[in-house]
Amino acid sequence: MGPEMSQFLSGMKKTMEQVVMPNLTDRFAQEQAGIVAATLGFLEQIHDKVFHYELLENHLYKNLLGEVVALLDGATPPQHEVAVTLVALRTQLATGNSDAHLRPYHFVRGANETMKEHLCTLIRNQPELPAPLRESFDALLRPFFRELEVRERAWVKPLGFDAKADELPDIDELLYRDGKLRLPGAL
Amino acid sequence: MKHHTASLALRHSPTPEWIAAMRARYPVEPAIDEIFTRKLGKRVELPEHSMDFSALPERLRAFLARETGQTDLKVEQVARLSGGASKEQFSFLLTWRQSGAAAPVAQRLMLRMDPSEAIVETHRLREWEVLRAMRGVVPVPEVLWLDPEGVALGRPALIAGFVEGTVRPPGADKMSGVGMYFEPSLRAALKEQFVAILARIHNLDWRTQSLPSFAVPAPGTTQANDWALGLWERAWHEDTLDAHPIMERAALWLRENRPVVERPVLVHGDYRSGNFMYDDALTINAIFDWELAYLGDYHDDLAWASLALFGCPDEAGTGLASSLMPVDEFLERYEQVSGNPVDRQRLFYYQVFSYYKISVIAVATSLRIAHGRRTHLDAMMNFASGLGYIGISELNRLLESVHP
Repeated sequence: MGPEMSQFLSGMKKTMEQVVMPNLTDRFAQEQAGIVAATLGFLEQIHDKVFHYELLENHLYKNLLGEVVALLDGATPPQHEVAVTLVALRTQLATGNSDAHLRPYHFVRGANETMKEHLCTLIRNQPELPAPLRESFDALLRPFFRELEVRERAWVKPLGFDAKADELPDIDELLYRDGKLRLPGAL
Repeated sequence: MKHHTASLALRHSPTPEWIAAMRARYPVEPAIDEIFTRKLGKRVELPEHSMDFSALPERLRAFLARETGQTDLKVEQVARLSGGASKEQFSFLLTWRQSGAAAPVAQRLMLRMDPSEAIVETHRLREWEVLRAMRGVVPVPEVLWLDPEGVALGRPALIAGFVEGTVRPPGADKMSGVGMYFEPSLRAALKEQFVAILARIHNLDWRTQSLPSFAVPAPGTTQANDWALGLWERAWHEDTLDAHPIMERAALWLRENRPVVERPVLVHGDYRSGNFMYDDALTINAIFDWELAYLGDYHDDLAWASLALFGCPDEAGTGLASSLMPVDEFLERYEQVSGNPVDRQRLFYYQVFSYYKISVIAVATSLRIAHGRRTHLDAMMNFASGLGYIGISELNRLLESVHP
């Protein structure tokens, strides 16, 4: 396979910056071309990590939701939205649990979106849970949220918006450990 | 892009039943409901947004000829404006006889027009009403004509006077982050004006103004915040390409902690650096972007204007509200000038709400409209999502501080 994606991207970025942009006279066009060039630079940095990012999220959501299902089991009547969601989650967690790394990108992305939607449904229904159970659920979410927001923020760090960029890890540090994808609890 | 779940498919191709469910689930002001519902209808009907504006000069000329009764007026030099992220903006030269004048004069004007879908869906009629209400109260461009439904110009639009001045000073991007940098002498010249204008907005007796498209929340209730939160939650659930548990958690917290608004004021809704202009004498000569204005709690503007995301720190690293002055100084001066007390607990609520709004704008709606190629700024809309994920991160950190 050739050329590599990074080669395409760096070539386009250079052309945009050194050929197209200097010859644009319209200010709106200049502004948009600058964004296109910056986007190409961003893609150059993240394109080879997209699948592993989704794979890590797949693993982490499955871990979290496994705990959530165990925690909330029987908390509401069977017809309640919480109970219905738990049934759907059990099915979701039981399928494709071990071979996500062999699946196409869109399968993993779709599985992640489904898990996120189920988790959101449970969060939306938190007020209907008994107070101690709600607190236990929150306690499960908090460390997960901390990792999630840092990971997402590290992902968009190369876009250059973040005034706290120096305090953030690079996405590589979050994805990989000892040269391999970091999947807590998997090995 | 594949639509992996039923929710994603419905957001992409809304059915009447799904639209009805969104309307029922998230109560908003009637005018907001109208434009959100229209947005979803258009999402199914319209093709991607066209960048071709070759027909615009003639449509503009015909519209203005009808509005003024002057068939001999001329529209020239129609040019797309850079800057901004929401509406499509053009400047043009109109040669016409202004009221009572015998001879025609050339006047530079600005056309502000909805794209097929915008990063924030807002009502041109509301913007028109609030700009007219603020004229003479604070510096705003003069609004001259309105096409609220886009019958004449193809899309909803308003036409306003073109104001000359500076929004982004040279070297504004000197610091990292979003907020623009003002050098110390500029800050010294602008900061008191920035506070005084905000105080005048909030102390305006809006009941004496004509604002018929603004619903009036009942004082001493949460209604203002019910509607405001309803708007942003509805935008999230109609637009997002990706469910997000932190956003869901934040929406729940915002619902469960809605403050009562004792005395609703006119809230600008996007008061910050980047939305004002100053002239060569360093006088603020225009406040822009009134499209998010509503009747609510003044703490909303205070939280938004002092958000770290919008403010560039000073040379010593101190965070500045809207890049102009330290946050505490901003709040103290606001209290002194306006007479409105600042309640820090209430301010915290609106800080959370502000980050929620930014995240809705930059993660949900910006990516949605870029996905559908519904705007003149598709590349920028994708790029802007970087801001949204910072917003979600800050949102989580704020909520953690309440419940570590």
